[in-house]
Amino acid sequence: MKKILALVMALCMIFALAACGQSAAPAAPAATEAPAEEAPAEEAAVASSISLWTYPVGGYGSEETVKAITDAFTAETGIEVTVEYLTYADGDDKVNTALTAGQAPDLIMEGPERLVSNWGANGYMVDISDMFDDTDKSEINAAALAACFAPDGAAYEYPLVMTAHCMAVNLNALKEAGADQYVDLESHTWTTEQFAEAVKALYAKFGGTVGAVYCGGQGGDQGTRALVNNYYGGTFTNAEHTAYTWDDAKNIQALKTLYDMEGIDFDAAIVGGDEIANFYNGVFKMAFCWNIAQQLNPNSAGTGEGKTLNGDDIVFMAFPSEDGVANLQGGIWGLGVFDNGDAAKIEAAKTFIKWMCDSEHTPEAVRASNFFAARSAAEGVDLSGVWADNEIMNEYTKLMPMLGDYYQVTTGWAAARTAWWNMLQQVGASDGSEDAIAAAVAEFCGQANAQ
Amino acid sequence: MPQTVSPRLRRKETISAYLFLLPSLVFFLGFVVFPMVLCIVTSFFDANMNANKPDVFIGLANYVELWQDKVFLKALVNTIIIVLVSVPVVCVFSLWVASAIYRMKEGPLSFFRVVFYLPVVTGSVAVTVVWKWMYNNYYGIFNYLLKGAGLIEKNINWLGDPKYALACIIIILLTTSVGQPIVLYVSALSNVDNSLVEAAEVDGATNMQCFWRIKWPQIMPTTLYILVITTINSFQCFALIQLLTSGGPNYATETVMYYIYYTAFKLYRFGYGNAMGVILAIFIAVLSAVQFRLAKES
Repeated sequence: MKKILALVMALCMIFALAACGQSAAPAAPAATEAPAEEAPAEEAAVASSISLWTYPVGGYGSEETVKAITDAFTAETGIEVTVEYLTYADGDDKVNTALTAGQAPDLIMEGPERLVSNWGANGYMVDISDMFDDTDKSEINAAALAACFAPDGAAYEYPLVMTAHCMAVNLNALKEAGADQYVDLESHTWTTEQFAEAVKALYAKFGGTVGAVYCGGQGGDQGTRALVNNYYGGTFTNAEHTAYTWDDAKNIQALKTLYDMEGIDFDAAIVGGDEIANFYNGVFKMAFCWNIAQQLNPNSAGTGEGKTLNGDDIVFMAFPSEDGVANLQGGIWGLGVFDNGDAAKIEAAKTFIKWMCDSEHTPEAVRASNFFAARSAAEGVDLSGVWADNEIMNEYTKLMPMLGDYYQVTTGWAAARTAWWNMLQQVGASDGSEDAIAAAVAEFCGQANAQ
Repeated sequence: MPQTVSPRLRRKETISAYLFLLPSLVFFLGFVVFPMVLCIVTSFFDANMNANKPDVFIGLANYVELWQDKVFLKALVNTIIIVLVSVPVVCVFSLWVASAIYRMKEGPLSFFRVVFYLPVVTGSVAVTVVWKWMYNNYYGIFNYLLKGAGLIEKNINWLGDPKYALACIIIILLTTSVGQPIVLYVSALSNVDNSLVEAAEVDGATNMQCFWRIKWPQIMPTTLYILVITTINSFQCFALIQLLTSGGPNYATETVMYYIYYTAFKLYRFGYGNAMGVILAIFIAVLSAVQFRLAKES
């Protein structure tokens, strides 16, 4: 009897662990059983309080920054905003758990890959396409606007800010190695040939790892994707965002070149954040996970704009390409509304979105993020001069015209991201032959397309 | 003459007993039995997160797919390796340490118990952060020491190299697993009837004979408990993987528990993840049964 009891207990323990956190899964369809009847805007009451969950989108990870904004909103509209701060490490799990438990917040701040391709596509978001009039559509950056709409025409995100992800180099190290001749400090661009020469010189001078193709997880994977895609002009998806195309010959050639390059190591033990830390500490001489927020505050360490820990100068650069003109990965962030079945809350959430993204308050909301406005003007307020007083931000605008296709809205994005870094791990662990690399690329690109 | 209890009193006592049990029973049913049943039921569905797509009954399709899933099979092999290595090592090591310290005075005994129990009560995140630093490819202490001693020429990427990653995870798991067994063994060995040992020694028994013939049988229930909980803990190795390697490099540290998490929470395939949970539970049940049987025979 005791034996049976012990076995039952052991079974209970594992079942409980395996099932925990998803127990509400079958409840998900309930959301469709009673969809929120969205009343016409003029008839709907406006709730007096709403909840906002935000990922650390630049300055929106700071409670002090966000509180100043929400307090101003409350003072003007009377609508209280309760804010919860998510991290990229476990934010998705929190949101998904809340969704399946019917406890989602009213508002969420992040990018289209989550709001449109994930939660929107899965039926949890409110279609806010009625918030975009013709003026808005003409003012909002075309790539950002397109990314906020699902293929069926529904909009699940209202864009606020955007940036171009880039890479960075340690200028002092480049000068010491005599490799500063390979970077154009005026245009912040370089060719693959110049990049290879710079790595060669840095490796000859310092040895070790000049830069790492980090692939320990998905953190910062936009950097490795941009590096590989730009190197010989490969693509990640097709233009229609219906298929993953990273198995093209140009990407395989780029992976082979990077694998063979002394000073560039495939490192499956680190992710983007670790790479930034190693670059900031002076271990690496270049970083592939970089953007304006990092340039303003490297490694979030608060030790000075554009400086490493040792005080070396950091120069942001576009990714190398054959002709020196890169297609940079974009970051687009904005607000979306979860469909909690409460028309008054939805109206209040839309009021907040309008206040943040398309009003005279938008310049302040943009500045809070440390990124660039996703539109040229908001209700007559010119947004082109938001960063006029900031030299680094002004310099960084040189990269913005290189913003490439926002392909993160392709179907099966979550699985594709995982397939990408798993592929890099397999390439790094292979013998580096073209066949081995091609096989890894084909296997994981196939996995991404199978989702 | 035995006292007869009236049926009314017996009923009253029975009701009281059940009322005392009720709070625990509610929690047990709500947090153990209900999720368990839900886990089994959902494993027969194509359950996902799409609010517009109802769950579809697919019978055993999830279970069939499991055995064609290369990553799951790799995860299963890795999990079994972790169990096969960590369970014997934890048991033998903790018994050895307990044997060495259980006769010490209170002060040194407490010191050793604290030393070995500390990693158990320290948060997983703190433990993994420290280990991650020690394993670091560029400035980790292991590479520093090994290079200093002339044992290696180039830094080893401990967590980034498929050859070493799983072993590194197992080492961390061992340090966090031995604390409780050591405390239990110290307690069990202290409770062994010393008069039996003294009598055997008078009869000329060696230390080894005393251990295997007298102490070992008396600590067998403790050993069995340690075997079962270590097996279950090893099968459920998750936090270390999530915090250190995400199952990589190249699936070298993928475990079933991590793959369940990944499938359910990253790919939103709840049904498939639950099917894995059921299979894992069956493995644990079978292994526990084998351990009970062997313990009974010995």
